Amino acid sequence: MDYTNNKLKLVYGDVTLGVQGPDFHYIFSYQTGGPESLVIQGKEWLYRTPKPTFWRALTDNDRGSKFHLRSGMWLAADMFIKHADTEVKVNGEEIPLPKAPANNQYHAGAEADSVEIIFTYETITVPSASVTVSYLTEPGGEILVSVHYFGKAGLPELPVFGMRFVMPSRADGFCYEGLSGETYPDRMAGGIRGIYETEGLPVTPYIVPQECGMHMDTGWVEIYRSTVLDNRKRECLQSGIRFSAAEGNFAFSCLPYTAEELENATHHEELPPARRTVLCIAGAVRGVGGIDSWGSDVESEYCIDAGKDICYSFRIGKAVHKSVSGSSI
Amino acid sequence: MKADIKWLDDPEVFRVNQLPAHSDHRFFANEQEYKSGQSSFSQSLNGTWKFKYSENAKSRPAEFYKEEYDRSGFDEIQVPGHIELAGYDKIHYINTMYPWEGHRYRRPAGVPDDQHMGAGMFSEDDYNPAGSYVTRFDLDEGLIGKRTVICFEGVEQAMYVWLNGSFVGYAEDSFTPSEFDLTPYIREKDNLLAVEVHKRSTAAFLEDQDFFRFFGIFRNVTLFAKPELHLEDMWAKPELDPDTGAGYFSMDMKISGDGASMKEGAGSKVHIVLKDREGCVCLEKEMEVQPEVKLGQTELKGVKAWDNKEPYLYTLGITLYNEKGEVTEFIPYQVGFRKVELKNKVICLNGKRLVINGVNRHEWSAGGGRCIGADEMKWDMECIRRNHINAVRTCHYPDQIPWYYMCDEAGVYVMAEVNLESHGSWQKMGAVEPSWNVPGDSEKWTGAVMDRAKSNFELLKNHTSILFWSLGNESYAGEAIARMNKYYKQRDNGRLVHYEGVFHNRKYEGRISDMESRMYASPRQAEEYLAQDPEKPFILCEYMHDMGNSLGGLKSYIDLIDKYEMYQGGFIWDFIDQALWVEDEVTGRRVLRYGGDFDDRPSDYEFSGNGIVFADRTEKPAMQEVRYYYGLYK
Repeated sequence: MDYTNNKLKLVYGDVTLGVQGPDFHYIFSYQTGGPESLVIQGKEWLYRTPKPTFWRALTDNDRGSKFHLRSGMWLAADMFIKHADTEVKVNGEEIPLPKAPANNQYHAGAEADSVEIIFTYETITVPSASVTVSYLTEPGGEILVSVHYFGKAGLPELPVFGMRFVMPSRADGFCYEGLSGETYPDRMAGGIRGIYETEGLPVTPYIVPQECGMHMDTGWVEIYRSTVLDNRKRECLQSGIRFSAAEGNFAFSCLPYTAEELENATHHEELPPARRTVLCIAGAVRGVGGIDSWGSDVESEYCIDAGKDICYSFRIGKAVHKSVSGSSI
Repeated sequence: MKADIKWLDDPEVFRVNQLPAHSDHRFFANEQEYKSGQSSFSQSLNGTWKFKYSENAKSRPAEFYKEEYDRSGFDEIQVPGHIELAGYDKIHYINTMYPWEGHRYRRPAGVPDDQHMGAGMFSEDDYNPAGSYVTRFDLDEGLIGKRTVICFEGVEQAMYVWLNGSFVGYAEDSFTPSEFDLTPYIREKDNLLAVEVHKRSTAAFLEDQDFFRFFGIFRNVTLFAKPELHLEDMWAKPELDPDTGAGYFSMDMKISGDGASMKEGAGSKVHIVLKDREGCVCLEKEMEVQPEVKLGQTELKGVKAWDNKEPYLYTLGITLYNEKGEVTEFIPYQVGFRKVELKNKVICLNGKRLVINGVNRHEWSAGGGRCIGADEMKWDMECIRRNHINAVRTCHYPDQIPWYYMCDEAGVYVMAEVNLESHGSWQKMGAVEPSWNVPGDSEKWTGAVMDRAKSNFELLKNHTSILFWSLGNESYAGEAIARMNKYYKQRDNGRLVHYEGVFHNRKYEGRISDMESRMYASPRQAEEYLAQDPEKPFILCEYMHDMGNSLGGLKSYIDLIDKYEMYQGGFIWDFIDQALWVEDEVTGRRVLRYGGDFDDRPSDYEFSGNGIVFADRTEKPAMQEVRYYYGLYK
């Protein structure tokens, strides 16, 4: 398909909505409840559909303060979430959800200036809270992701709130503009602002694997991969995906494991071989605390009240800090 | 005298034939030898020794020290080192509980009443491992024909010593040097040194620190020869008047000799010189040698003060001359002029309010446990300096001697703690429950803790870096600890005394500790104390528990520094994770293991890892926060 204008090409599938441009191809799925494929410069960046994340692996201080006994239901919420609704807007106008058979009205050459797909989720907590995640794709291929957690009274404090992106293979590394080192809301004064490059996906070697690798106050992060699962060519040129701040800066962690994988291990050697990339773009991060490890909670200003709304947004696009020349696979 | 295995059970026997504790000065044949770095009067006995492990005292080879004993079945072991890490006996980590929790019912002898007197508690227990160590040595040339002592810098937890078949002595107190006079038994060649080390004795009730529970000869073993005139002890007292900048220097010395040179009126001399960094002589004095020599206070105008920013040290040289005018011994020591005092209820150093930005430091190595080397100490000191840490608390025992010299040189303030913790005797499952407690008020246990206080003081009294004596850790409070406090106050008016345990027993707050010390008080609790015009300055001997991913909220403590004059900072808990390198049984990879990973039960598991550096001596990510906040006060 040629791209002779600056419009997005839309594929009104029976189950999914394809959105294409010169060097990107996204597929949003009504079935899996979110983007199922983000291909940028020929490389697939999603392993599974990204979902909101609510859990971080307990820190020793969390365990000591029995945070998990108060907030443990967020662990289940993190693992299992109900996709409740999907809305589609084309050129800013809501359209009836174009799945089969409503999509019979469309044709192969559909185009648009913008397309926004909004997924609504309901948590399995009691009471349930809802989250909306909107993906607004614009002609250059950049996606504006807007995330809204709707606060619900009666829910315990959140360990974290963000979006978790699991990528098909282990990244070569990442680069970000933000603070040096591993930072948390209550431990970021020593972070020095700059652009930092990290080789590999290091898991901080706390003797018991736990929450780690958070980077507060980040302007952008780019993840670089040179491996894919595509059987035609497992290795390819390194290329990157960029997550950048839209309104305010965000926090992120980029590890080879999910919170649950870290949670399960009592030693690093119990962690499975690192084979994926787990990127969490967080809108709210709980502090780590430090008063003691046997009862004192994180200071209240660094806790996350689940009764209040959390809204944040960020953009996804191709890497620009370290871009790739040459052909894609 | 014959060794008696029942000493293990008796809290009133803790040193037999041990030489009195004395200053840690090094001594050389002369100044040139000092400059070369190696004293001809010392001989290291570190190395490969013969070794036999026994599960208990009953099954140990009791006669192993005899010349004729058949030791052909003995293994080999490295000295220094922990017996557990050499593959004998289980590695065990436990925090406050006594290590026999769930395995033995025990109460300390005479506590809480005379119902339990402890007969056979350790000597007849089926599980109380013993290590029988043997080495043979010839005397180096510089030691031949001289009075000879042996120094064990650290042996955990009780030891008996024999030389050439004769019983030499017995010692407890795992973390202070134990010295014995070998002169009556030693020969030039083929000496047979035998050391029997027991894992537990009554000392176990006093050494319930939160750490891996090891035993064995884990620090240096060294022979020292005393020349015909020898400086046994020195106490250099450089004082500073911060208002005028004047220094005052005085010194007490004890000298021993074994010949004509020591006779009264023989004409032997002690020559003292104090030089500044440029080598200019500030003070020089010669005096007659006597068993006790006192250099009276001399005023020195305009001395350079010692502190963290500028750890200015003067070099003291002491030379002993015999009656023929020959040099018999040269002693170097570096001293700094500084003044520690309480002014208007505020701890001041050199007239200015002191702010402690400190850390607690266990001696630890992932490979060697508490047996650490010079490189590790050097790394620790560099790490401390680059991260703007200005103080260390030697939790909860005296460290290896070189560490104190390094602190003098680096300007790192030291809280020098006595080897004492009886946590399991008064706090159970987090609750204060002192229905039985050692040392408490017990006369039976007072002697041992007083001895520990005295050893700590006598050994380390010349170190400029030591600003505080600490009576121990988490041992509650009673008459015995009050007496330790009194000892330090009487003995040393140039330093302050620290102890936290009165927090749990306020009855003693008037008699113990110059400062209100807390551990893990929240910023709010600290403010509650500080806001009510308290009596004593406030210090956190432990705070910011850096277990795992922690050290959040340091700002709330740092803010108190500018808000309250009597808030004097604290010591982060702690410096390095306690974890051990182990080969993973599944992958063969070298991995770090912690409490509970050795089938050791009960355990406190990962509670062994609270460092601001990982066990492999890489900095934790939180270090940049320490560097930032501590750096504000650099």
